[in-house]
Amino acid sequence: MTLGPFLFAAPLALLGLIALPIIWYVLRATPPTPKEGVLPSLRLLDDVEQREETPARTPWWVLALRLAAATAAILGFSLPIYAPGVTGTPPVDGAVLVVVDDGWTSAGRWSEIRNVAGAALDGTSRETTAHLLLTAPRELQTDPAESLGRADFAARVRSLQPQPWGADRVDALERLNESGLAPARILWLTDGIDPETATPFARALAAKAPLSIYAATTRGPMAITGLNADANGVETVLQRTNQAEPASYYVSALTLDGAALATAEATFAAGEREASAAFDLPAAALSRIARFQVTGTSSAGTVWMWDSADRSRRVGLVSGDSTAQPLLSDIHYVRKALEPFATITQGDVQQLISDNPDAIILTDIGQIEPDAQTAVTEWVESGGALIRFAGPRMAAQEDTLVPAPLRRASRAIGGALTWEDPQPLGAFPDTSPFAGLTPPDDVLVRQQVLARPGPDLARRTWARLADGSPLVTADQRGNGTLILFHVTAGPDWSDLPYSGVFVDMLRRAIAAGKGEAIADENGLYTPVLTLDGAGRLTQPSSSATPLQATEFETVDASEVHPPGFYQGPSGTRALNVAADYDPVPVESWPEGITLLGDAEAQTVRLGGILLALAVVLLAIDLIVALVLSGRMPRFSARAVSAGVGIVLGVSLLPTVPAEAQASDPFPKEVQAALDMRLAYIETGDARVDRATAAGLRGLSLTLYRRSSIEPDEPHSVDLETDALDVYPILFLSLPDNPDPLSPLAVGRLNAYMRSGGALFVDTRKGGAVGTSNSFDGLDDVLEGLDTPVLAPVPEDHVLTRSFYLLTGFPGRYSNRRLWIEATGAAAREERRGDGVSRLFVGDADYLAAWAVDERGRALYSVDGGDQQREMAARFGVNLITYVLTGNYKEDQVHIPALLKRLGGEDEDDGEDGGVIP
Amino acid sequence: MLELSTLRAEAERLARQLPDLSLQAAAADLVHPGAAGRKRSGSGEQFWQYRRYSQTDAADQIDWRRSARGDEYFVRETELETARTVLFWCDPSAGFNWSSGPGLEPKADRARVLMLTLGIVLSKAGERIGVLGGHRSPSLGRAAPDRLAEDLLRPGAQELKPYRSETLSVLASDFYEPLEVWQANLSRLSRKTSKGVVLSVSDPAEHDFPFQGRTRLRRPGADKTRLFGRAETVRETYLERFEAHREALKNMAASMGWILVTHRSDTPALEAAAALQAALANLGARL
Repeated sequence: MTLGPFLFAAPLALLGLIALPIIWYVLRATPPTPKEGVLPSLRLLDDVEQREETPARTPWWVLALRLAAATAAILGFSLPIYAPGVTGTPPVDGAVLVVVDDGWTSAGRWSEIRNVAGAALDGTSRETTAHLLLTAPRELQTDPAESLGRADFAARVRSLQPQPWGADRVDALERLNESGLAPARILWLTDGIDPETATPFARALAAKAPLSIYAATTRGPMAITGLNADANGVETVLQRTNQAEPASYYVSALTLDGAALATAEATFAAGEREASAAFDLPAAALSRIARFQVTGTSSAGTVWMWDSADRSRRVGLVSGDSTAQPLLSDIHYVRKALEPFATITQGDVQQLISDNPDAIILTDIGQIEPDAQTAVTEWVESGGALIRFAGPRMAAQEDTLVPAPLRRASRAIGGALTWEDPQPLGAFPDTSPFAGLTPPDDVLVRQQVLARPGPDLARRTWARLADGSPLVTADQRGNGTLILFHVTAGPDWSDLPYSGVFVDMLRRAIAAGKGEAIADENGLYTPVLTLDGAGRLTQPSSSATPLQATEFETVDASEVHPPGFYQGPSGTRALNVAADYDPVPVESWPEGITLLGDAEAQTVRLGGILLALAVVLLAIDLIVALVLSGRMPRFSARAVSAGVGIVLGVSLLPTVPAEAQASDPFPKEVQAALDMRLAYIETGDARVDRATAAGLRGLSLTLYRRSSIEPDEPHSVDLETDALDVYPILFLSLPDNPDPLSPLAVGRLNAYMRSGGALFVDTRKGGAVGTSNSFDGLDDVLEGLDTPVLAPVPEDHVLTRSFYLLTGFPGRYSNRRLWIEATGAAAREERRGDGVSRLFVGDADYLAAWAVDERGRALYSVDGGDQQREMAARFGVNLITYVLTGNYKEDQVHIPALLKRLGGEDEDDGEDGGVIP
Repeated sequence: MLELSTLRAEAERLARQLPDLSLQAAAADLVHPGAAGRKRSGSGEQFWQYRRYSQTDAADQIDWRRSARGDEYFVRETELETARTVLFWCDPSAGFNWSSGPGLEPKADRARVLMLTLGIVLSKAGERIGVLGGHRSPSLGRAAPDRLAEDLLRPGAQELKPYRSETLSVLASDFYEPLEVWQANLSRLSRKTSKGVVLSVSDPAEHDFPFQGRTRLRRPGADKTRLFGRAETVRETYLERFEAHREALKNMAASMGWILVTHRSDTPALEAAAALQAALANLGARL
């Protein structure tokens, strides 16, 4: 049934409106229930006549409210549809064909297109079936001959999405012809672009049946159609369809994970269809950009995927020295210099070559292993850049992969035994890739490896010192390049790594690698991330197939080759759907076609709105009824405040735990980093752990009282999970039957000790006077611990005098020996804490001797009573002082001797009459 | 109904804030508190008279100091002193044991607190206190407030019947019964009991008549309800009636020699306690 512009899907429900007067009468006749009240003094009114017995009526506005609710419900059940286009037109018999342009060009106004499509059966064709024809080509295309009922059609329309590739109207027309469908009416929902195909298509459709067209031409910017990158930044080119008024839009530069690095404005002048947005970004930021997107749009065309060509180089690092201190290693300088410009991977040579990076940097590797050498040679000859740094190892032995033969020694310039001074850099030769860089004055080279003179040496030299000796040499090997820096990558031999020119030299050296410059004709690129029609990155669908490297220039985006990133042998390549696209809007449609405006084409379903309104009105009425009848008596300030409180409480609920978390103390490692703390390793034996914790608490207390070391509450650490580096010393107090530590724990303990941490192991076994220490089982527990040679503490060791002067190290048991690293061992091993022992092993149960309870009272008995407990505490103070001060205190040990010697000279001077202040 | 301990604590708190009460305020020369001279000889501490010795007197009754001044023997007699008795009565009706809101004490509870407060003060002053119409006779001393508290809280009607000897009475009610009923009651009491205080406790709702719209009103203890179409129209009438009733009650009490003390249960109890104390002191002085 129609009524003006309204259609009623269930007109019988309108009969309910007849019931409205009855409802009105009933509501009016029933007075509200009285409120109840109690009054003892009611007797005073016993003889009062009631002057007005007529009850208060239901207030008129309550009546109106209820009637409105009833009306809304009745109207809602009749399922009205507001369709302005329907006025006066009689229903059409025969199927309607809905043609939808679902290419990326429609994405800008997709929701409108979908609404209009959904309304196709609401208007004049409301009693017929529908057929659907989509113009974007797909492998599995829907058959336009398939007849869809009202419900099926609505569901189908709801699931329609724009495709990330363009529409093909010629193909669509062919499909329509093949299906042999003869519709009574055709509705074409088009993007209104490309008159060359649109006009003939419209004519062909109009020839079949009366044609209505709804043209939803994207209003804002249509697409990013190009990108110009140069050294200064990036410029994106935007196209739009309407060219009347000036407008400006924003383009964002996004990383692969969607973080916006920059935003630039693109301003369309009046009458212009093209505009550009320029990004002025540093190279380091540019290397992270993966795509550009017009802000506020969702279309595959307004996203420009930017591939890795001429952006980030991939560099592999191989380090010769595996030093314990990462910040002092050569590789650190290289890594810091390259990080902004290149993707760095680190590993061994073989592994890196399989990744096929642009360049591989070797720091101080004298000889590449023979089996790797062939692989490296092949890789270089196929176009890689092998950059090597000299060093002690290279000075000692070399291989063939150097640009020039080297002398078997390094040249030290400057120093006690040479006449020469350290050399600055000379000017860079004009033929060198470094030409144009300014050699800094303050860079001095103190040591280098020397190339043997040869006829080619001058040609191969990229940089030399002021005295002419080569600093960087390079040679072509096949398609690739060998580059040798004759100094170390670290500051040991020269100041070069400190200077900015080092960074530039490395960049240019890397640029010698093949990069993306060498077109890989046969490379096959597989899609890794593709765009959907709304411009979102998704996983490629199963129908997406790889592309040849050469095809990128020619192929158009389609279902087989969706726009997105393709991964291939030389990095990623991007396929953009809107590359060089020119969106020409259709200005004039052929004769005899109905063009639908926005209002005519769309319909509004009112049923749900009306029913929701009815429910809301009834809910209001419920509250009103409760208030009127006094059933909601305590609507007092307290109730209101309680209600408000509940509402606020609910709304604050998510924030309350957040605040609670915020008020939590810092995480453990932060606490440990903020305040110096002692820590012990959890053994899993609760009793021992408790004693250890109490011992450390006692020791901390003693330190706090007696020295300027003021440790906070001790921590217990789990070797496998907690951060260890924030603690100066770890205590390990072994239970009677200790479990071995896991390999991971031992590994982390090794790293901890290597980077300067100290470990105190107490086996708690004790023993009689004179028996030697028993460390049975310690090997099992600490299997794999990087243990240096141990020796009992010598008599004059710093440990005996770092704070107190001690003669022994008593714990709970007296006369036990404490074992530390042997003095000579530290020198032989790699540098390890400046000769300060990092490992202490004892069995006198020290921690029990230190242990105190919460109130500072000693917990355990000690062999020698309070005297020995005091000595144990003093040993604890000495131990921590030693651990914290290192060899500083060791130097102090020598002070008496120094003073004595000085004093002797003083006396000599005194005889001369000199006054020493 | 209040708990015994609550009642006791509340009353003690109030009593501590009240000054000591002496029913002998006018007879300041009588030092012994609580005892009133009976204007005849008997056991007491105050000197009454010297009397000639008679054969029936024991030898140790002779006042030797007086006798030494003459030839005759004299016996020293003191004035008879007895304690006053104050009796309390609390209206047991359901309308009295009612409050208009959850934050308000029922009127009866407030009355009990006030009466026990007075009882504590009086018993400290050595008076005899008890419940009118109770099973236990009035008592003296430190246990008297405890007994009074128990009796006040004892369920069941306390009969409004005169005590056998002369007492002061404190009657607490809301006095919404017709005035004739109360006049009869008071005159019946006044026949034996000399005088007393009438304590009228009322609820704020009874003062304000806070009802509006269609309201069904009910009186506690009565089945009958009254429906008002618009309660606000009756309000004026009600307030007038309420005031008139108050006035009539006051006049009636005054005419019979009683004192009316009124109290609203939403005002502090201390005021009423003080008013009650003043009224009792006034009566005691008149006695």
